[in-house]
Order: sequence, then structure tokens, then C-alpha cells
Amino acid sequence: MLDNLLEIEKDKIFDETGILKVNGYRFVAASCEQVGELFEITYHFDLNYEMKHLRIFTEAFGEIKSISSIYPAAFLIENEYQDLYGFVFTDLIIDYKGNLYLSRKAEKSPWVIKK
Amino acid sequence: MARTVIPFGPQHPVLPEPLQLKLVMEDDKVIEALPAIGYVHRGLEKLAELKDFNQMIYVVERVCGICSFMHSMAYVRGIESIMGIQIPDRAEYLRVIWAEIGRLQSHFLWLGLLADAFGFESLFMETWKYREKILDLMEMTTGNRVIVSANKVGGVAHDFTDEHVKAILLAVSDLEKEMHQVETVFVQNYTVKQRTIGVGVLTRSEAIEYSVLGPIARASGIKMDLRETGYSAYKYLNFETIVEKEGDCYARTVVRIREIYQSLDLIRQAVEKLPTGDIIVPVKGFPKGEVISRLEQPRGEAIYYISANGTKNLQRLKIRTPTFGNIPALLKMLPGSNLQDVPVLVLTIDPCISCTER
Repeated sequence: MLDNLLEIEKDKIFDETGILKVNGYRFVAASCEQVGELFEITYHFDLNYEMKHLRIFTEAFGEIKSISSIYPAAFLIENEYQDLYGFVFTDLIIDYKGNLYLSRKAEKSPWVIKK
Repeated sequence: MARTVIPFGPQHPVLPEPLQLKLVMEDDKVIEALPAIGYVHRGLEKLAELKDFNQMIYVVERVCGICSFMHSMAYVRGIESIMGIQIPDRAEYLRVIWAEIGRLQSHFLWLGLLADAFGFESLFMETWKYREKILDLMEMTTGNRVIVSANKVGGVAHDFTDEHVKAILLAVSDLEKEMHQVETVFVQNYTVKQRTIGVGVLTRSEAIEYSVLGPIARASGIKMDLRETGYSAYKYLNFETIVEKEGDCYARTVVRIREIYQSLDLIRQAVEKLPTGDIIVPVKGFPKGEVISRLEQPRGEAIYYISANGTKNLQRLKIRTPTFGNIPALLKMLPGSNLQDVPVLVLTIDPCISCTER
């Protein structure tokens, strides 16, 4: 378990991220992992070399509010997860519509483990 | 005025790797820029679910050839953290020396590419001549010049002999003298200044807004260098984070030049303090848990998120490389610049597409 990890409702990610921004945190990265039928997305932030993490759970192909209007640096990783896992990030500042990495003919959401 | 869209890349003389920027132009002024990546995305992270966690060292080394050593260092430090392994002090020092040799060759490579971008071919060749000496050190101490495979979970695979130590100290001393000659050109030459001063300015507040990393952040006045946290043997070494304030291409150049001297000094300090003893400890079992390992690569902070479930394969490996974190800042830096400045401006974020397309 990561230190300073806070598990929150998916719908609260935008507001909680906004609070971190106000408090001076820098957006570092986001990681995603499939856990059974669900996916956990962990957003990583840093302030003076101390990290803080927000974790949400979502279903396959779930809709999540983008944090890219708060942290523009997040738009690439959110687009990456749209490609690889098929999530839909709403209100992305730049939305590649699932074609950041994947061509139009490529298999959709290739990193979702299909049973 | 009518707007046109110019595709900059994916094949372009200043880009050794494929990155495309769709530049929306009004006359010769950039109004908007849209980055496009994914031309060579490899999905290396996914391999962690198929390969033994020890085999993954050799995979992550291939995320990027330029900061290859530091990729494997970040990875093994993460695994060691999960497994509660304390590696010998000598191994920590050796890792720092190789990491700083890696930073040197990366910064020299970048200086050469910058000189090439503004057409200063002799400066480009001079810079890369020095880089060869640095690669010679890698070859002497590990047997390889680029992908060195020196890291192992629990320590390192190679040790230094007394001859290695002497050769490193001599090379550091020589490079310091030679660097002064190159520095004069980069810092004082009229043409270089014309192409870099006031170009691609990223203010401190914009740098914070776009979460930039490494030399770009430090050139915009942000004092951020993960080595300050004292990971590995850095806690035993003295250094000051290098910061410039102007935030333009010139400041980014100056930061990297000053960091070359800093790396030379860190290598000298580490070699002089190199303790005796083992270089590796035995490792048993499989990792279980999750951790974030991060360190300061030549281009900035690299993040390794590792999730392990007690089997030989990792559950998830997520790598966030510095260039991936720095590309969004181009959205801010490019608008307002002239078309002829775009190649130099893009180069000053030192884009590593191999890293980005992990």
C-alpha cells in the first residue's frame, strides 16, 4: 500500500484534485491497474518531494471526469488510458478520441484483460 | 489573416525520433501546436506481466538508450524497496557514478544536437568527440557503451578496479578542461545567443502550471532535483541544485552546461569516497506490494510504479518518463514563436521519444 493514499469515489476526483492544486501540489503521473472486473486509477501528486495519491475505481469503459483543465499535463496520460483501457475521459483539453497510440484499424482497448 | 497547418515531423532533420507537431500558423508565427505521438509505441510495460521480475531489468534498460542505466536503477530500487533489501554501500556509490556518467553522455549528446540544429557543425562534432570519451568509461567499467546491464536486484554486476578509478579521475579532469572551451562557444557566441535568448520563454508560473520537470523546470526558476532527497549515495555527496530564471532556450542550455560540471564533480566525489566491500547481496523470494520509485534522470524525474503480487511476474509496471511529462509544456512554449525557432525550441526540452513510447 502506498503512503498518503486516499481512496475516493470516482465522481469526486475532479474536486479533490482541485483541492490539491490549490494547496500547491504538482501533478506527477497516473497509473492504472485491472483488479478483477474493476480498474483502479491512481493519480500521483507531489509537494516538496512528498507524494500524495488519489485512487478511484471504475468499471470497464467507464466515464471519468478529466483533470486536464486543472493540470494540463494530465491530458496525455488520460488519452493514453482512453486508448489502452477504453475509458472515456470527459472534458479533456485535447481529446484524441482513442487514437493517441492506436490507429483507426487497431484493436480497441488492447490492455483490458478479456475473459 | 488565413491560417495554415504545418506538420513538423514525424520525420525532421532535428528529430532523430518520430514526434509530430501540428503547427497552426499565421504567416510565420505559431498560433497553436498539437503534439502527436504513438508512431513507435511498444507497450513495454505490459511485458512485466509476462517476464520474470529479474528479466524486466533488461527490458526497462531498453526503454531508452540515453538514460538506460537510470531506467534500470529506478526499477531495481523499486523492487529492492518492496522486498526490503539493503544493498551494500559500495553498490550505491557505483550506481551513482554510472548514473552521473549517463547524465554526462546525455547532456553532451544534447549539446551536440543543439549545435547541429542551428547549423554549427564543428561545435556539434567537438561536443560528440567528448561524449565518446564518456562512453569509453562505460565500456571500460561494464563492457558495454550504451545498454550496460550493470544493475541487478540486490546490487550491481560489475566492480571497479584501481585502474578504473585512476582512468575515471583522469577523464573527469580532462573533460572539465575541454568543457571550458565548448562552454565559451555555447554561452558567449553571438549566433548561439541570437538563436536562444528570449526564445521559447516558459515563466516560472507557467512551468508550475504545466508540471514541467528536470532542466526545463530548473531553467524557469524552479528548484527541483530529486537528487536533493538523498537517494542512493547522493546523501553522502555535496551539491547544489542548479537554477536559472529566464526560462528561455538559452537558460535551458546554461542549466545543462552547469550540470555537466556538477556531474563531473559528483563523479569525482563518489570515486574518492568509494567504500570497500561487497557489491551485491543475495536475493530470495518474490516481490509483493506496491511502491513508487523515482529518480532524477538527465531530462528530469522518472517514475516507476510497481505493483507485485508475490509471484515471479509483476502485476503492473507503470513508467512515467520525463519527456512524457514535458511534452504538454510545448502547448505553452510554441505559440507566439516564429517558425524558424521551432526546431531549436523543441530541442531544448530534450525530447526523448524512445522514453515516451515505452
